[in-house]
Amino acid sequence: GPGGLVVPRAGLKQYLQPPDYSGIVFPEKTKLKFMDKVPSVPKVRREPRRLRDIRGPSQEATDFTQGQYGILALGGGYLHWGHFEMMRLTIGRSMNPKTMFAIWRVPAPSKPVTRKSLGHRMGGGKGPIDHYVTAVKTGRLVVEVGGHCEFGEVKPFLTQVAKKLPFPAIPISRDSLQKMREEEEEKRLNNQNPWTFERVVTGNMLGMRKYLSPYDLRLKGRYWGKFFLKHRV
Amino acid sequence: APAAKMAALSGWGAVPWRRGWLPALQLVRRGSKAVTRHWKAMHFQRQKLMAVTEYLAPRPAVPPRCLPRPRETRQEDNGYARLLRRQVEEVFRDNRLIAVCQYNPMPGEDVVMMRHYLRKHNIEVKFFLNEIVRPVLSQSKYKNLLPLFVERNILLVSQETKVKEMLRVLKGVPQINLLGACIDDTILSRKGVENFARLPPLEAAQGQTVGALALLPSQTSSLLQGGSAHLAALLDRHIQRLQTGDTGDTGSTAEPGPAQSSGDH
Repeated sequence: GPGGLVVPRAGLKQYLQPPDYSGIVFPEKTKLKFMDKVPSVPKVRREPRRLRDIRGPSQEATDFTQGQYGILALGGGYLHWGHFEMMRLTIGRSMNPKTMFAIWRVPAPSKPVTRKSLGHRMGGGKGPIDHYVTAVKTGRLVVEVGGHCEFGEVKPFLTQVAKKLPFPAIPISRDSLQKMREEEEEKRLNNQNPWTFERVVTGNMLGMRKYLSPYDLRLKGRYWGKFFLKHRV
Repeated sequence: APAAKMAALSGWGAVPWRRGWLPALQLVRRGSKAVTRHWKAMHFQRQKLMAVTEYLAPRPAVPPRCLPRPRETRQEDNGYARLLRRQVEEVFRDNRLIAVCQYNPMPGEDVVMMRHYLRKHNIEVKFFLNEIVRPVLSQSKYKNLLPLFVERNILLVSQETKVKEMLRVLKGVPQINLLGACIDDTILSRKGVENFARLPPLEAAQGQTVGALALLPSQTSSLLQGGSAHLAALLDRHIQRLQTGDTGDTGSTAEPGPAQSSGDH
C-alpha cells in the first residue's frame, strides 16, 4: 500500500507449454539467397520512370507463406543492391541457420534506373542505366523468417534491418499482422465521423474531385504519393 | 484569371496558345509529379477535406475507467494445482489436530530442528499456498478458518491431539506464532488452545464424568431403600424399648430415641 514496503510473495508457478513447431517446413537453403546487382540479361532499352509502382497498396506478397515472422513495408520505395546486401548480411549474422530460415519475398532488382552524369545541363537525351532496383509498395512483405524460434528472438535484428530500409517498415508476426488488420477494420466500423473520404470522393461532394486525383477513388485518402497515412481510417 | 494564368505560364515555355488549351492537361505540367520522394504539399481544399474526414473515436456515455474493472477470467487449472488441492483436502480429512501458525522467516536449521521435535510427537509441518487453500476451504465446512489464511502461514497437523507438547515446542521457536486450530472439527482460538492444553487427560476426564453421572444413581438405591430402612430401624428401636421398658420402665428415654433416629434420617 501507500507508504508501506511491498513484501514480495511467491504464488504458484504457472509453467508454460513449450511452443509447438510441428507444421514448419524448412527450405533447402536456410540463409537468404544472394541477389544480383544486375539481372542476368541486362536491359538494353531504357524504361520510363513509372513511379506508379510505388504508389498505393500492394497486391502481391501481402500474406505469409512459409515463415512466421517478417518485415512489413509501411510505405513505398525502391530497394537497390546495397539494401539487399545489408539485409542478407544482417539477418545471416543474427540468425541461427540450423534452427531458423529466411526467405526473400521481393524479386531481385530488375527495374533500370538511369542517372545523368554530374555537372551537366539539362538536355542531351536520357542518361544511361546506372543501377537496378525493385519497387516495393505499402503492405508488402520484404523478408520472411521462420523456424524453431519465437518473435522475441527475431524481433531485435528485424527492427535493426527495418530501420535501415528506405521506406518505413516494421517487424511483424502472423498474429500481429492479423491483429493489425482486425484493428483497422474495427476502426473503420466504429468511426463516429459520418463524413469519410471514401464517401466524399465517390459522391463528388462539393466538387471535391476537382482537387483530387482519380486514383483517390481507389486509395481513399490513406495514401499520398509513396507515403502511407497510418492514422487515417 | 485566365489571363493571369497565361501570363504566369508563358514565362515557362510557350504553353497556352491563344486558340484554346485544356487546363486539365496543361496544369499537370506545372509542379511535381504525383509520387515524389518528399512530402508533396496538398491543395488547401484537400487539406480541408483530410481534416474533415479524420477518424473520431467512439466515446461511450460512461467512460470505461468509471466502470468496475472487468474480472480477469481464471486460466484453466493445471494438474499441479489440482494435486495440491487434493492434498489439502486429504490433510483436512485425515488429521484430528490442525493448527494454523504465522510463519516468520527463520534460519533453515531452526526450521529443521523444529520439524524434528514436532515429528517426535507425531506432528507434521505442512506448507501450503494460500491461493490453493482458500478455494478449498471456502467450499468445505471449514469456512470460518478462511480469515487465518492470509500472509505466510504453516499448518501443524497430527492424528493425535498432543497440544501441550506442541505448545512447548512452539514456545521455544519465537518466529512461529499460533493463530488458531481446528481440533476434532472444533475451531479454537489461541486462548482456546491453551485452555485445551490445560485440560486433564482423557481418562481422568472420563472418570470424572462417570463419577458425576453415577452420583445420582448411587443415591437412587439409598433413596428407594430409605423408607424400608427407616421402618426397620424404628422397629428395632421399638423392640429395644420394649425390652428395656420391661426392665427400666422410662417412657422419656424411649420417646427421644425414635425422634433422634428419625431426625438422623
